[in-house]
Amino acid sequence: MTLANTQPATKEHDEPALSAQPVPTHPERRAAPRPSPRTWETPPVPVPAPHLDDYQAIVGAAELDELRFLAREVKGKTVKMVNSTAVGGGVAEMLNRLVPMLGELEVTTHWDVMTGGNDFFEVTKAFHNALHGSEYELTKAAREIFLAYNEQNRQRMQFPEDMVVIHDPQPAALIAARKDSHARWVWRCHIDLSNPNPQVWGLLRPFIEQYDAAIFSSQSFARQLPIPQYLFYPCIDPLSEKNKEIEESFVQKVCDEFGVDRTRPIVTQVSRFDRLKDPVGVVQAFKLARKYVDCQLVLAGGGASDDPEGAVVLKEVKEAAGDDRDIIILDLPPWCALEINALQRASTIVVQKSIKEGFGLTVTEALWKGKPTIAGAVGGIPNQIIHKLTGMLVHSVEGCAYQIRYLLTHPEFAAQLGRNGQAHVKENFLMTTNVRRWLLLLRILVRDRG
Amino acid sequence: MTTTAQPVLVRTPVKPFYFNTSAHLLRITTFKANTLAELLEALRVCPDDSIFQHAFRTLQEHHFIREGFSNDFAHWALAACNQPGLAEQLASVDVREFTSLSELRERFVQIVEKHLQLNPSEGARVADETFYFCASDIVIMPTNFVAGSMQDFAKGLREVSVHSIQHHFIEARLRLKLMSNDFSQWLHEDVGLTDAARALNRIDIYTATLEDVREQMVRIVERALT
Repeated sequence: MTLANTQPATKEHDEPALSAQPVPTHPERRAAPRPSPRTWETPPVPVPAPHLDDYQAIVGAAELDELRFLAREVKGKTVKMVNSTAVGGGVAEMLNRLVPMLGELEVTTHWDVMTGGNDFFEVTKAFHNALHGSEYELTKAAREIFLAYNEQNRQRMQFPEDMVVIHDPQPAALIAARKDSHARWVWRCHIDLSNPNPQVWGLLRPFIEQYDAAIFSSQSFARQLPIPQYLFYPCIDPLSEKNKEIEESFVQKVCDEFGVDRTRPIVTQVSRFDRLKDPVGVVQAFKLARKYVDCQLVLAGGGASDDPEGAVVLKEVKEAAGDDRDIIILDLPPWCALEINALQRASTIVVQKSIKEGFGLTVTEALWKGKPTIAGAVGGIPNQIIHKLTGMLVHSVEGCAYQIRYLLTHPEFAAQLGRNGQAHVKENFLMTTNVRRWLLLLRILVRDRG
Repeated sequence: MTTTAQPVLVRTPVKPFYFNTSAHLLRITTFKANTLAELLEALRVCPDDSIFQHAFRTLQEHHFIREGFSNDFAHWALAACNQPGLAEQLASVDVREFTSLSELRERFVQIVEKHLQLNPSEGARVADETFYFCASDIVIMPTNFVAGSMQDFAKGLREVSVHSIQHHFIEARLRLKLMSNDFSQWLHEDVGLTDAARALNRIDIYTATLEDVREQMVRIVERALT
């Protein structure tokens, strides 16, 4: 892997900065001493990436043999991935695992990161929101900043590979380099384009049409384009800190530390404090459900310390929770993957009551852990949750409350949902499936072209 | 002199069975439907690959579900259009009864057409979610398993991926143009185990997961060995 990053993004995919201790919602719990207070100031040392063989226990030898066969077919071909940030954010996280795995399969994959000043990342952040449907007036200055930094990067980068994959809108105009390259060019769009701002999409579209193919995360994100469009679901790594098997004693330790009582049912939502995740709606649903069933609610997320809107949402959530002893609100820094893993595993039910969603990888994580999951029927969530088969889809606070009650009082049905959900992730949303898709695409676009 | 039948255990297949498998890349086509009328229109003209994807491939993508999932059209009719009667009809289409995609397409068209003739007002009602027609680009590849004996065959059945099971057991009929599958064909033609071949072909893929199907197949083959 080569990483040519002279000035990585500072804004686009930033994760929340450090946060303080978990925030209890009621005075009693706030006052209670914690047995082993954590120091959140220092992120842990990154764990080395696993090898392909490490996945055998999870997906089976036959699955890995198929990957190796597909890889043999494209051995010697080279790939370049270009995105806009080396650290933080789902794309970088995915590339951090994908690039070495393709390398292990002898498909040499280079990863270059777009460079740019804060003005560029401010513009592309606005583009990002506009492509998600926000109001935005595209100015001449914004257009020029976007094009100038793309041109600067085009001159800096070289594209001798067989396939070039450009991730998301920020580097989309690098397609201008195509005329000097023999590569097949692919645009990998990770964002929801179902309702894009017409001005921003109007700027991007002529570039996208020059690619050989586009990849989207959901059928509903695709656009009418004159190029082939493929569906690559986002994926999780079953061996990552957030998803790997962990010791039961660690799960207990985390619950003890956060004041979660494992003798009673636990309903959990893991999300940034963002209105689109509807944490206040989750509190309301929990309160409605608890009239009939005993349970606790854990809201674990981040984003309140560096994001002014996140802080406002956290305040709203705390107000909605009031002094309820059974609502535990945790504002965690982004490197608490193991703690999130433990909380998900300790949960009886996981909720993701989003109002708008990209794909919803927290749903994937919960399903992978075999948890009965209730989620809003938005974005890519219906690809993961087939109602009543792999989880429960809801459209309202009341619907969410009802499903919490139902699943807590029908544990066998809930367990079956959990088993189906886990199998669904194993078949469709794991990193190994993602590697398979990239190898297939390389074969289709490059090898079969001759 | 009396002759005794040769034990199955030592019966040598005329030809070995080569376990293959297939990998699929999902393509999003330009066809979509927001109403049942649009579904009908798209069903008539979408590529064969789309019929294959939504009737055959979806079985693998959801191979772990025992009940309530047969094809994407039925699922959409129920989940997005709230049409249980139509969903039931569409779900009753058994892909094993079709050896060509054009026949299968025609069957889906007939069902939706009939439903809309009986319920004309439902044609224009907007569904909760859009149906996006997808299609698969397919690569077929060998596996490490080659069965030169029945024991090897049983071992292969136990150890190949579910993708290989799907390839030989479900999708094969489009290749063979027969109401059969690769495993049964081999057992019948190359091993002479016609009863086992028939038993295998009778396994119900709509009430079992692909892992259940695998287990049933292994049991049938092991019974044939004893």
